[in-house]
Amino acid sequence: MFWKKGKRGNNDRKDKPQNATQTAVTLDGLRQFLANMEDAEIIQRQTKTGQKITLVYIRTLIDQERLNESVMEPLTHCSHDTIHECIATSRLTNITTVAEAKKQLVQGSILLNDLSQNKWWAVHLENPLSRGIESSATETIIYGARDSFSEQIEKNITLIRRRLPITALKTEKFTIGSLSQTTVVLMYIEGLTNPDHISNARSKLSAIDFDQFLDSSEVAFFMEDHIHSIFPQFQETDRPDACAYSLGLGKLIFLVDNTPYALIAPITFFNLFQSPEDYFLRWIVASFFRCIRYLSFVLAVTLIPLYVALTTHHYQMIPLEIISVLLESRSKLPFTPFWEAFLMLMTLEVIKEASLRMPTKSGQTLGVIGGIVIGQATVAAGFASKVLIVLVGISAIASFLVPNYEVTKSSTLIQFFFLVLSAILGVFGIALGGIAVLAHLNGLTSLKQPYFAPVTPFYRKDWIDLFIRGPLLWMKTRPEYVSPLQKWRSNRRR
Amino acid sequence: MATFASSSTYSGVYVVFMVNRLQILFTILILPMYLVHSYMIWGIIAIGILSQLNLLILSKWFSSDFAAKGYNGFVELFGERTVRLFVIAGLFPILLNIVVNTLGYVQMVHTFIFPSMDNKWLILSIFLVGCYVAAKGMANTIRFVMIAFLSGAWIILLFLPLFFPPEASLYDLYPLVPTDWSIGPWKSWLALWSSFSGPEYLICLTTWLSPQQKIRKYLTLANAITVFEYVYLFVASLLFFGPHYLNAINFPVVHMGRYLQSPVIERIDTILLSIHMFNYVFAIAILLLCFYGAVRIILGRLHKQTTRTGYVSACLVILICMFIVDKWFWNATARENFWVTLQMWLGAFTYSLIPVFLLLAIKRKGAV
Repeated sequence: MFWKKGKRGNNDRKDKPQNATQTAVTLDGLRQFLANMEDAEIIQRQTKTGQKITLVYIRTLIDQERLNESVMEPLTHCSHDTIHECIATSRLTNITTVAEAKKQLVQGSILLNDLSQNKWWAVHLENPLSRGIESSATETIIYGARDSFSEQIEKNITLIRRRLPITALKTEKFTIGSLSQTTVVLMYIEGLTNPDHISNARSKLSAIDFDQFLDSSEVAFFMEDHIHSIFPQFQETDRPDACAYSLGLGKLIFLVDNTPYALIAPITFFNLFQSPEDYFLRWIVASFFRCIRYLSFVLAVTLIPLYVALTTHHYQMIPLEIISVLLESRSKLPFTPFWEAFLMLMTLEVIKEASLRMPTKSGQTLGVIGGIVIGQATVAAGFASKVLIVLVGISAIASFLVPNYEVTKSSTLIQFFFLVLSAILGVFGIALGGIAVLAHLNGLTSLKQPYFAPVTPFYRKDWIDLFIRGPLLWMKTRPEYVSPLQKWRSNRRR
Repeated sequence: MATFASSSTYSGVYVVFMVNRLQILFTILILPMYLVHSYMIWGIIAIGILSQLNLLILSKWFSSDFAAKGYNGFVELFGERTVRLFVIAGLFPILLNIVVNTLGYVQMVHTFIFPSMDNKWLILSIFLVGCYVAAKGMANTIRFVMIAFLSGAWIILLFLPLFFPPEASLYDLYPLVPTDWSIGPWKSWLALWSSFSGPEYLICLTTWLSPQQKIRKYLTLANAITVFEYVYLFVASLLFFGPHYLNAINFPVVHMGRYLQSPVIERIDTILLSIHMFNYVFAIAILLLCFYGAVRIILGRLHKQTTRTGYVSACLVILICMFIVDKWFWNATARENFWVTLQMWLGAFTYSLIPVFLLLAIKRKGAV
């Protein structure tokens, strides 16, 4: 609040020499910047009429088969005088400057020199290296569509467009990253999404000044309102149906090239607990499981701290039947409850992290070893009590119920924060921590919209899709925190 | 974001929750020991009606053009110099409110949760969290009332089993009509009137509350909720302890919580008392911002950017005052604490005076 905000982007620093990029394209100029590029090709072909044509391209970026079919074959058999008459492709672009030539080459075009007219042409023949459409690996569901995004941005746009076949669905392209030249596509529904959000997103994207972006989360870091928060302010998803649904609510989608994860904004904290499947199940069933998810999150962050609080400060709170088991279990332990819990949680985190980084088969083995280490050996060695092992197990499983992986990771940090507080101030400390976390959430924003809505600010109507997922028939309005231009979801009331 | 930026205004629901939470701070936990007799149920209702009248007067201020202008409205009414004098006079009630509420709550935590812990750590921890909430700015602090309300309002429902036998002794509810018609101990009435105080602090927040034509409705609702909570808890404590024992214990509501049964854990009063801290943190945060704002007005820095130094200095002043009162003046062993009594007097005084004073001022200007 009291910090002076520094300038994020640096638009003023357009200090690149303009002359170099505006120079007319020549073959010598091209040779110069393609020097020491083993995969760069400069070849010459002759047409039927005897005209020599120079082709310049980067071999590894283009589709060789299409090159032969669409360019080589037509050129060698062409009896026309000009290139654009020979090559019947719609993606033939006239280029004049070196900068354009460079851009086209690195984007997978071939450059053709038409000597008769002294012109350079670019034909886009990018090699469409991509995996097929697979099911989502991170947001698995039983019912609902199986397709998920891949690394190809155009394919991802298609997947969304097929779900929203309307011309109001707009796509705006941005290029960020001085080295990576990453394409970011901003998607929204015109006439539905609040123009303030769109202009805010545009200005944030335009202000980005960094060298490379290899993942959508990196783009999110540059657009977030609160960079020091542990909570994600953009929702990452690889599901086109989730993106289409969010667009329909008046949100924005950011697709980043070469990454299968799209960004959704503005979001709330509670969106991160919602699964696409919530909307495919019966509302009572879906609501029950949504509540279980919230409960699991609370359990994941408070269960172990509560154990530490009770065993350190509040023995009187433990029922008599349990206290005897607990005392027996803890009687020979060399550690205080805090250190016992801390070491166990650290071990668990190490195992979780290792099993994620290891190859699948080794990961499974690691899981078994971890299970034995945690479940058996630590108890036998007298490092931890049986009660704590049970609680750690419950807590670990509960943490995985949250559909969003980033929240799962954040919950681990909150758990450690509460653990320290519980060791110092018991239940009172956990309550203090809870207030701090809630106050922090209360102050967060996502694309300048309140992150803890509809609780704070209080939007009564949005509560129908908060802790419970109300019947779709009752969900007649779009969320207020998104401030959509069209409030009603039915055609009759606009 | 600046501390006192008011980019958005907040609707009536915030007024309801703020008034309710500010009213039930410390008194909700100690009030039954001042009331004791069952016929004081009518006392709560009577004072509730009186409080309602007071809130109607306050709503006149909120509906006026002066309120919509915030600080400038006060300046138009009284002139800058007079406003500064009022602000200087207002610093003390704000400071006292923070100090008494924090120390009172700490005393309860010390009694029920950590009897051997040094109070200083408890004071420091609560106050730091309050500072953190306040540091998010006034708008976010006002929004925090939703969290405070949702976190704490459900607690009274847990006392429902105490209304039924065998815990409840229905005979303790009688006589509902007093046998002698003397006015009774004045302190009960003072405590009762003071327990409805708190809404007067809303005059510091008019900039953030949307121009309210319906504010009377929201203030009425908030007051009604408070009356219900007081009656509910008083009847519960009467049925549970009886008037004789109620007369002899401190913090009757917290003591009641000790007897609540849970299938999983015991002594859930520890948890309930900890959760009740949400209210205190909210109150500390909002009063802290009022204090900081008041200091800025006094120093003539209202239109300048807030600074970390200024905010931290305001926090430090309050913290030092709290430590001083705790170390040398706070008598935790006495049943009737001087500071609590002082807060009662001051609360009753500010709650009675401010609405009437503002009404007279706008009448004088001919705005009503």
